[in-house]
Amino acid sequence: MNPTLTPEALRAIFLAASDPKTARALALASSLALTTAVLWLVRRRSLREEYTPIWMGVAGALLLVSLRLDWIHALTRVTGAWTASSMIFFLGEVFLVAICLNYAVRLSRAGLQIKNLAQDLALLRARLERVEASQPRSLRDV
Amino acid sequence: MAGPGVSERVLVIPAYEEEARVGAVLEAVARARLGCEIVVVDDGSRDATAAVAARAGAQVLRHPFNLGYGAALQTGYKYALERGARVVAQMDADGQHDPAELAELLAAVESGEADLVVGSRFLGRGAYRMGALRTLGRRLFQGIARLAGLSVSDPTSGFQAMNRRVLEVYARDFFPTDYPDVDVLLAASRNGLRVAERPVRMHTGPRASTLHGGLRSVYYVYKMLLSTWTATRRPAEAPAPEVRRP
Repeated sequence: MNPTLTPEALRAIFLAASDPKTARALALASSLALTTAVLWLVRRRSLREEYTPIWMGVAGALLLVSLRLDWIHALTRVTGAWTASSMIFFLGEVFLVAICLNYAVRLSRAGLQIKNLAQDLALLRARLERVEASQPRSLRDV
Repeated sequence: MAGPGVSERVLVIPAYEEEARVGAVLEAVARARLGCEIVVVDDGSRDATAAVAARAGAQVLRHPFNLGYGAALQTGYKYALERGARVVAQMDADGQHDPAELAELLAAVESGEADLVVGSRFLGRGAYRMGALRTLGRRLFQGIARLAGLSVSDPTSGFQAMNRRVLEVYARDFFPTDYPDVDVLLAASRNGLRVAERPVRMHTGPRASTLHGGLRSVYYVYKMLLSTWTATRRPAEAPAPEVRRP
């Protein structure tokens, strides 16, 4: 390593690097692929409509990145990161953590609903058995 | 099986894959002559627990799949509320509790001395042995409960009796599906319910090793710390108005 090259100078070199057109093309293709996948899953009834906004939002963000890569560079400078790619990875990780937390909340709610339904089923079954047991056999057979 | 009327006293026994022990437990309950409707909550067992309990004359509530010890207890509470019970006792299906001692717990609740009475292994009756780690855990939660204003010597005891006011609190959604221990006692206390203890004898049951063994004990301590913290932070809810029956 060149001893005269300071970390600040090295960071400036990274930040000044031009963006290859392939990066924009990749972001655009990812956005289109995600949109297509979401629509296909909804059409197949594998994904419910109410779960699509977040993925459409991600597709929109990818589209934005492909059109305005300079925004990512600005964010990279502001946050102190060295490269746009590390910034994109960081944003991706933040998104994944947020979505995991969101699904954990949904799962907690669904778990509570399932527990209450299972309890209601047990109670209703017992009530049905009580009612059946209290009726004369001729009525039960009707 | 219970008739269609009201059951003043209900005994709730949560059971999961206890076909080998639940029969003997129900025989001991019958010998104790508690005057309770006996309810076994089969928590999705794959063995013949429900059939054994039904043959012994218990009302069996069957979960369609395993929900957890706390959820099984809560199903029993909800059943007791539905049946108009005034007092409810609970004990485990593994034979560690002696049903003959429930009479004392029930009497303490019925006399109005407390809303919830916990049978404690550590008040001088019997010689229950607990490992060093579990003793440490018990003392930790005992200390936390004391800081929150609740004095209990046996915060993990599943041998209890309670009145309808407690049931109305425990039937709510906060009640844990896995380990309802010191956190629910604190919730009861914060809802203005009086908690008392009675000395009881207990045998060392397998529940201790299955619920609190290995890595689960680490999770148990973590989960209990979190739920006791939320129990002390959550605002007390006004008890639902008591349903008066003619």
